[in-house]
Amino acid sequence: MKFIRAAATEVVGLFVGDWLQTIVSIAILGFGWLVLSRIHVDGLGFVVVVALAVQLIYATTLEARDRVRRS
Amino acid sequence: MLTFGAAFLGSAVESVEALTIVLAVGLTRGWRSPLYGTLVALVSLAILVTIFGQLIVTRVPESTLKLIIGTLIVLFGLRWLHKAVLRSAGVIPLHDENKSYAETVSEMSGAATRQDWIGFTIALKGVFLEGFEVVFIVVAVGGTSGGLPIAVAGGLLAMIVVAAIGLVVRKPLARVPENTLKYAVGVILTSLGTFWAAEGMGTTWPLDFVSVLGIGAVYFGASRVAVMLIRRPVPA
Repeated sequence: MKFIRAAATEVVGLFVGDWLQTIVSIAILGFGWLVLSRIHVDGLGFVVVVALAVQLIYATTLEARDRVRRS
Repeated sequence: MLTFGAAFLGSAVESVEALTIVLAVGLTRGWRSPLYGTLVALVSLAILVTIFGQLIVTRVPESTLKLIIGTLIVLFGLRWLHKAVLRSAGVIPLHDENKSYAETVSEMSGAATRQDWIGFTIALKGVFLEGFEVVFIVVAVGGTSGGLPIAVAGGLLAMIVVAAIGLVVRKPLARVPENTLKYAVGVILTSLGTFWAAEGMGTTWPLDFVSVLGIGAVYFGASRVAVMLIRRPVPA
């Protein structure tokens, strides 16, 4: 039972480090899906790339500040 | 090439972590049970790759496959990249194989019996859980790119190389630049995942697969900006 629980935690942990960041990433991809499936412009996918990159900067700096504040 | 590289590098990093656990168990409690545990874990992982690889390649339509697996690879890659940024900025400590080794050794007290279930279970659990990430990388990258055999070859070669080095040196591979590798794999996986997810959404990329390099440059640039911002002293 402990092994199954550890395996399940591991599977979820593959994709989720921080729930908020995961939800924001999925929201960006979901919004990207809505736009990209309707507007077919070459290279429009880079908007999704930039949005995810900005999200990465925001999430990491936020976590870093939070860890510094707590320590 | 990128499929092989992503599978090889991702598998190498996880294999180093699994090797540390097996070495810690084998050198302190004897080799028989941990090797059985490793074998059972490897066979289970091979079955998973075969089942999921076949299901993905033969049953799921290409655009759906790209969208779903691409999204999962993005989430997986971002998680690695997130940790790599925090490690590069010195917010969280770098992964230390010597420390992991010492922790595993201290977990195992008491003499080993002929059938050592503790050694068997720890090796099985360690190899299976670390290997699970290898399975995901190999199946996702190989299945989506249409190069499953290439990805499997990359994953297998990495495991063989790491196991061979481990057999020779018989101590944790602390000198492998694990954190740098994880950083690189994080950038590669996030880039490939975004490329495929966007294709699954119905868009096309300028210069097709060459765009992955541009996507990678954006993610790498963003990660360096994040490291710079975190390292910058906060004004009082």
